[in-house]
Amino acid sequence: MSLILHDLQPLHWALAGVAIAGVTLALLLIGSRRLGLSTGFEDVCSLVLPAPYFRRAAVLSGRGWRLPLLAGLVLGGFLSAVLGGGWEPTWALGMFDRAIGLGPAGKLVWMFVGGLFIGFGTRLAGGCTSGHGIFGLANLEFPSLLSTISFMAAGIVTTQIVYRVLFPLVGAP
Amino acid sequence: MTLIYVALGTVFGFVLSRSGAADYDVIQGMFLFTELQLYGIIAVAVAVTAPGIWLIKRRGRTLAGRPIAIELKPLHRGNVVGGALFGVGWSIAGMCPGPILVNIGEGKVYALAALAGALVGAGVLGSLYPIFQRPFGLPPLKVGTGEG
Repeated sequence: MSLILHDLQPLHWALAGVAIAGVTLALLLIGSRRLGLSTGFEDVCSLVLPAPYFRRAAVLSGRGWRLPLLAGLVLGGFLSAVLGGGWEPTWALGMFDRAIGLGPAGKLVWMFVGGLFIGFGTRLAGGCTSGHGIFGLANLEFPSLLSTISFMAAGIVTTQIVYRVLFPLVGAP
Repeated sequence: MTLIYVALGTVFGFVLSRSGAADYDVIQGMFLFTELQLYGIIAVAVAVTAPGIWLIKRRGRTLAGRPIAIELKPLHRGNVVGGALFGVGWSIAGMCPGPILVNIGEGKVYALAALAGALVGAGVLGSLYPIFQRPFGLPPLKVGTGEG
């Protein structure tokens, strides 16, 4: 399967896994930081929202390293596009376009709704794929095991409903 | 230090972009069991990170000599309920939090809407934290649900 981005062939999974582990361990070894990206949403919220939750030391003290990390993620995606065939704004969405086929306005609504679940869910869970799924599991934390099982199961059920029941895609992907 | 974090984020973002972890089709393929790439990535990442964390903890200090302190995530009902909600969102958007930012960097316009939704979602949870505290057995506000 090739990527939506310029039909590139994906990196080998083992190489990608080692690289992600390398970044995770570098954060710990350099800054005593535990990897966790969804807390970055709180960091951004804390820039504009006055609620006491966003004034906690845990949030304010993390902004100094997490916001630069988040900026790096955007930059990494940008460089990947530039080096992989050029950067240009795109609405391409792979099998979504083939099976569901909403236009730009529909995609924005669809993604906004998905984002609501992601933002609220990850912060209620206390972590996401990185904080629970990678760091938490690797650090043998029980809450992370529960959360990882929960989000994987929910993702499987949702996608099965969307692509096998509601919008079945014949012969693909 | 700021530049180091930007650099680490850039490497992370590039790998997420090129490995399929930020690709809508690869994510759906994972949940459909037709594309096992992501399972391999997560398994290897955890398998390599686990002994690495153990070694760094044993060393006990950062490269600059500061003590290593890892704050553990608290256990509460939100772990499971929030995880399930996040799983639904991951499936709908085909992105988890990091890849939302990676997709924006790649130029995928709709990812901006996913980011907007995620910020609103996180904003609602934080702003109404006291309301969700009891039903989900969440820790005191000072502790929060868990950073990361």
